[in-house]
Amino acid sequence: MLKVTEITKSFNRKFALDAVSMQMNKGEIFGLLGPNGAGKTTLIRIINQIIQKDSGTIHFDGKLMTEEHLRFIGYLPEERGLYKTMRVLDQLIFLAQIRGLNYSDSKRNALHWLEKFDIQDWSKKRIEELSKGMAQKIQFIAALLHEPDVLILDEPLSGFDPVNVELILNELKSLKEQGRTIILSTHNMRSVEEICDRAALIHQSKKIAEDTIWNLREAQKKGEFTIRFKGNMIAFANALWIGFELIEKKEIGEMRYETTVKMRGGNKIDDLLKSLMGNVEIEAVEERYPSMQEVFIELTQRKEVEDEK
Amino acid sequence: MKNSWLIAKRELIERLSNGAFLWMLFIGPLISLFLIYLLFKAGDEGKASLKILIVDPINLMDNKIVAQEGKTIDYYFTDKYIEVEEFRNAKKYQDFDALMEVNEKILINKKAFVFYRENPSPDLKMQLKFQLERRVEEVMIEEFTRLSVDEFRQIKQPLNVDFRNVYDPKNESSDMEGWVGFVFGAIIVLFVLLFGMTILRSTTREKSNRIVEVLLASVKPSQLMLGKITGIGIAALIQIFGWTILISLGLVIFRETIFPDMLDLSNWEGIQVSADVQQQIIDSTPVGRYNQFIELIYERINFGYMLAHFAILFVLAYYFYGAFFSAIGATAGTESDGQQFLFPVIFILGFSLYAGYYAIILPDSSFTQWMQFIPFTSPVVVMVKVAQGYPNGTHYFAIISVLILAISSYMFLMIAGRLYKNGILQFGHHLRIKNILAWLKKS
Repeated sequence: MLKVTEITKSFNRKFALDAVSMQMNKGEIFGLLGPNGAGKTTLIRIINQIIQKDSGTIHFDGKLMTEEHLRFIGYLPEERGLYKTMRVLDQLIFLAQIRGLNYSDSKRNALHWLEKFDIQDWSKKRIEELSKGMAQKIQFIAALLHEPDVLILDEPLSGFDPVNVELILNELKSLKEQGRTIILSTHNMRSVEEICDRAALIHQSKKIAEDTIWNLREAQKKGEFTIRFKGNMIAFANALWIGFELIEKKEIGEMRYETTVKMRGGNKIDDLLKSLMGNVEIEAVEERYPSMQEVFIELTQRKEVEDEK
Repeated sequence: MKNSWLIAKRELIERLSNGAFLWMLFIGPLISLFLIYLLFKAGDEGKASLKILIVDPINLMDNKIVAQEGKTIDYYFTDKYIEVEEFRNAKKYQDFDALMEVNEKILINKKAFVFYRENPSPDLKMQLKFQLERRVEEVMIEEFTRLSVDEFRQIKQPLNVDFRNVYDPKNESSDMEGWVGFVFGAIIVLFVLLFGMTILRSTTREKSNRIVEVLLASVKPSQLMLGKITGIGIAALIQIFGWTILISLGLVIFRETIFPDMLDLSNWEGIQVSADVQQQIIDSTPVGRYNQFIELIYERINFGYMLAHFAILFVLAYYFYGAFFSAIGATAGTESDGQQFLFPVIFILGFSLYAGYYAIILPDSSFTQWMQFIPFTSPVVVMVKVAQGYPNGTHYFAIISVLILAISSYMFLMIAGRLYKNGILQFGHHLRIKNILAWLKKS
């Protein structure tokens, strides 16, 4: 749906983006990840044509992206604001109109979304009368009003309470089911794991990874298994020999434990299970995948080490 | 263009729904009308009639003063010398409004004293002075000449040296008309400054509350800037239109109800004078000048012609200066950051008023000629020149001025558009000249 190729942008001779390429497919939620100052917002602004790239290309639905394509994009910037003295409905209509909708469609869509979020009572309120969270909801709606094919959301969950985070995440899933492409820039890794199909990680102006969430996690797995068993902890420890390392143990009941064991020296889970059988009663075995949080930290730290070398 | 219009419409609605705007729409004209009323009233204030006791111990005036005495001033004569203190306190003199002392010295030093209880209106002072002067003149003719009064007055006509411009031999223009043009020019400056500040505030507010990023994802920076300037400009035009309607209505009401007769000299009872003398009176007295002002307002100014020029110059000057304000707002790091860069703009606006004033005093000077073409000063100077009247065949100067202003406005919008584009997403910095230069160079 959106293909970014070799995008480079520098400010004052310092790279903000260095030949960054990635592809966001139709109907997927794409996580755009990276530490603060990595270049995510610059990339988003370039896609939205708010700032101009130095070089590179962007294709929208197979065609070189032009200003005309902007009306198919919905954008919720990280640093977002609204006109404080404007009424909610007027504001939504205005923002939909500058995205290309006519007045009646703008009004209809605005009322639809206000009703959907059960906040139609706010339509006559001025923004300055709303709390921060309430205003965030209006901003989220404003990005969707013109029914964009691509939705770019920069930290959409910041400022929301857990109930509203859930509401927004569900809405994003629903939009994905409708075939919309969603680009999600966030530091909330739990939500990335929960709703993103694929993600790219930008660090120090370069893309350092891009894949499905599952592949990203799998690539960083360390051969660790979580084993839940019933029995004696000493017997369990004794059954482990030099090919395995007990990383973590936790008593979860009377004579019941949950442990993390790391494979060593080319040993596999089958070898471990053979060793344990007869010593303890195994209840569950699961390979431990790193969280996206761990993937994020691992990849960024590794990049820093590489750069130092 | 559609997006610019949407931005303009939003700005306009925001201004129109602002209480301060509506207050200004009504309070501004009311204050202006009140000031005009005071100016008119100044020519008509004070006591309406006078009862004057003339102390004439040597009977110099022979108990006569002016052949046709008016009802507004009643003269009474006495040959008894009265002290001012006595006149002030004695019960028998309380009916008199003023005491006038006349003695033989008046024929030499031409000086008389009038001691009043309540300051008479300028009208009455002028009548009194005129009537006394005429009587003293009759006495002097009788005393020092063998001429008849009519013969003397034929000879006495003063030599009137009238300086006139070769381009305006009929003296159709005047300082007063130039001042009217200046007022129009000052209104342009006032509204450009007021609404320019609105552009600045609106731009910095959009920056500081970050909605600008949402807007820029849909509209180009130049469209946003143009929409904003246009929307606020339409609000300014509505304000000016409202002011024009209300002030015009007020002037009509003044003329029809409060000051119906002020202009008519024949209403000044007791004065039967020639047109030349009337003009002398008009030129030499404050009352005359006030009434000249009234005549100017109601009779001599072609408001349709003036307003047409005003509208064109205002729109162009507004875009010209509006581009400055917009660029300052967009490049400022914080809401207060842009204030320091306002000073040069305010100074230039102030200088344009000085140039307008100069054009009134020395309309044909080379300084004025230059200033009418320089876009920073042309709105005020051209308004003055238009009010004074361009000499025949030179109205094209105004067209050249307007064209230069139009081209300059366009160029400044382009330059401001570049600054707007490069500065609008820069936050938290302190605006410096080097930033401005860097953003100007950047495409």
